Amino acid sequence: MEKIDETLVLRARDFWASVVLIAASLFFLWKTLDIPLWGENRAGVSGSDWYNSAAIVPLFIFGGLLVLSVVLLVTSIGSGGARQALNAAGIGWDKAEAFRSLTIGLIIFAYVVGLVPRVDFILCSGLLITALIFGFYGGHSQRALVACIAVVAAGFFAFATNPAQPDWNAHGDDWVTLALWTGLTVLVAIKARSESVLRVVPIVAILAPLILVCMMAFVFRQNVPARGGLIFKQIEYHYYVSLRPLWKD
Amino acid sequence: MEFIVSQLSGFGAALVNLVVDPLSYVYLITSVFLGISFGALPGLTATLAVTILTGFFSNKIPLDYSLIALLGAYVGAIYGGSYPSILLNIPGTAASAATAMDGYPLAKAGRGGEALGLTTTASFIGTVIGTLTLLVFVWALLMVSKNIASPEKALLALFGILLSGTLMSEDLVIKGWIAGLVGLAMSMVGLDPLLSEPRYTFGWSYLLSGFQVVPVLMGAFAVPQIIDGLRHVEAGKVLALKGRILPNLKSVRRHLPTIGRSGVIGTGVGALPGVGEDVAGWVSYGVGKTVSSEGEKFGRGSLDGLLCSETANNACIGGALIPLLVLGIPGSPPAAALMGAFKINNVIPGPTIDPEIILRVVAILVIASLTMFLMGLFTARVFIKILAIPQTVFLPVVMVLTTIGSFSVGGGINDLYLMLAVGAVAYFMNLMKYPIAPLVIGVILGGLFDETFRRSLFLSDGDLSVFFSRPGAAILLVLNIGLIVSQFPAAKRVFSRLKGLSV
Repeated sequence: MEKIDETLVLRARDFWASVVLIAASLFFLWKTLDIPLWGENRAGVSGSDWYNSAAIVPLFIFGGLLVLSVVLLVTSIGSGGARQALNAAGIGWDKAEAFRSLTIGLIIFAYVVGLVPRVDFILCSGLLITALIFGFYGGHSQRALVACIAVVAAGFFAFATNPAQPDWNAHGDDWVTLALWTGLTVLVAIKARSESVLRVVPIVAILAPLILVCMMAFVFRQNVPARGGLIFKQIEYHYYVSLRPLWKD
Repeated sequence: MEFIVSQLSGFGAALVNLVVDPLSYVYLITSVFLGISFGALPGLTATLAVTILTGFFSNKIPLDYSLIALLGAYVGAIYGGSYPSILLNIPGTAASAATAMDGYPLAKAGRGGEALGLTTTASFIGTVIGTLTLLVFVWALLMVSKNIASPEKALLALFGILLSGTLMSEDLVIKGWIAGLVGLAMSMVGLDPLLSEPRYTFGWSYLLSGFQVVPVLMGAFAVPQIIDGLRHVEAGKVLALKGRILPNLKSVRRHLPTIGRSGVIGTGVGALPGVGEDVAGWVSYGVGKTVSSEGEKFGRGSLDGLLCSETANNACIGGALIPLLVLGIPGSPPAAALMGAFKINNVIPGPTIDPEIILRVVAILVIASLTMFLMGLFTARVFIKILAIPQTVFLPVVMVLTTIGSFSVGGGINDLYLMLAVGAVAYFMNLMKYPIAPLVIGVILGGLFDETFRRSLFLSDGDLSVFFSRPGAAILLVLNIGLIVSQFPAAKRVFSRLKGLSV
């Protein structure tokens, strides 16, 4: 198949980007109309002049964005981007690259939305690190799929069993995450026989989040995610009850 | 004369305070080491280093120490980018892209040690040139900036966003402007600064206080880089370092004119709002190619070419801090992250900034560049070992760092969702060759633009002539319009015709 010029691919992508931008600009221009513009009551103050309005700058911004998006659309059509935009090859669709980005995107989404709020930070970060290194070191798509399934399963389980904030301290999802992490680590250990880089994965996966979370909580005295998590709860208890009195007293 | 003496004594006092505080060294050595490591790892950038440390340190330790950590990492990371450029032919940071052109051929020719030594020295001198310029010009500009009123501030903020969009675009300039406007649009979310009118909150109370800077920075700079970097890349072969790293004085003296010229260019480019170290490196390289006696050797292993970009990108640091400290407009993407740290600490850069902070910044830069110089000369082999770490191994750890840093600044899960959303947008923008820096600068300057633009209208009773009746505002308005018009195809045709006539 003939290779499509990279600029033409960009123009085809610009076509879709400009369509999205035009829609977004119009939507936000419409939402801006909710903000009083002409002589209405604002924050309890009755004003009568347009220049008092909080809508002035947003109108300028979204108006500008609309104009620029139309210019981009015209440029894209003029350069032949619109013709290319309707077929996969035209927008530079690469199945392997899309698979890679999608699996990473899903892993990060499951981690941030499902795991971090609900599951012990050391456990979920350990799972993330193991999954990302195992899945993407060496560029094996099957391993990426396995890694993605492990993190998404853990994230989905945590989200489905404890959707509401009051239940986030429950430990059922911590155990499931730990089980998945252990399973993935076994796979890493098997592959590590032939790929020496993978030997460091368990160490990095345990130490990195452990050090980070302890530094945040005990050195910088900041809030950390999932304080009531399976492991961190124990660390915090022993820090305050067993360790701290040693130098406090 | 009295003024200069008082500034020097103030700077001296800040330097002594820094030197006698043992804790300063802990932050300084750690942050410069981390910075060089970040710069040396292809896939991690100086902006990312400063952004992650902003999330980690900015509101957890006193501002004095967090400035040491952030500036140390900034200086270290810009310099650290030269390692993979010279030894792997892969720029560690965008700022070092031009370095690879001559650095790698030099290393291949067995002159890697010499190249690294001179690069280290040039980076040190470059940082010092930028810092001294900052020390001198910041005061002069601060005096001028006291006369800057709301119309000028609004137009200056707009100019910063437009200029950043124009110069940072890889593809069409219009994409840079769109990125800037998207950033401005994001900054409109929340209560408006003058009347506390809620805008685009969709009934979600989290959005009333607007988008927080750190999650936006993390999302914009870290998430796309992590997604993009997690791919199998055949680890390049690190060239063996031959020759001694310690540069000989004769060679340094021979290249001093190049280093001096590049330092001035780097500082000048850095002082332009929103334009970063990568542009400084390329501009200096381009100028060097034209004026240097060995210009024809550029790209084939010229020490002059190597020093052009490496001096300029480090000199850019001091330059980038000038608009940040004087006007509250970041001069580069890492400076935008620094601005975030100032904001978190309730320090408002601009005409009302505490002069002590400026003197402290200058003192930190001097000490940080010295630390970088010594580390570069005596521990270079440690950083060379770091080059062998595959990015698929360290990027997952960066993701964890990013998450906990973003969470701890605001202490809320909502900040993580914001980081994720901004990260997704920034990833697609990267894919379509939209620059990210104008978006971040738009978010940071949006509040300033909104407030000053509307205050100007308030005070003039809606009279738009306020934007061209004042001389400063008129100049800035012409610059803004000129910048936009210069990108019109007709204007470009006229420029090229005029260029043809002059040739």
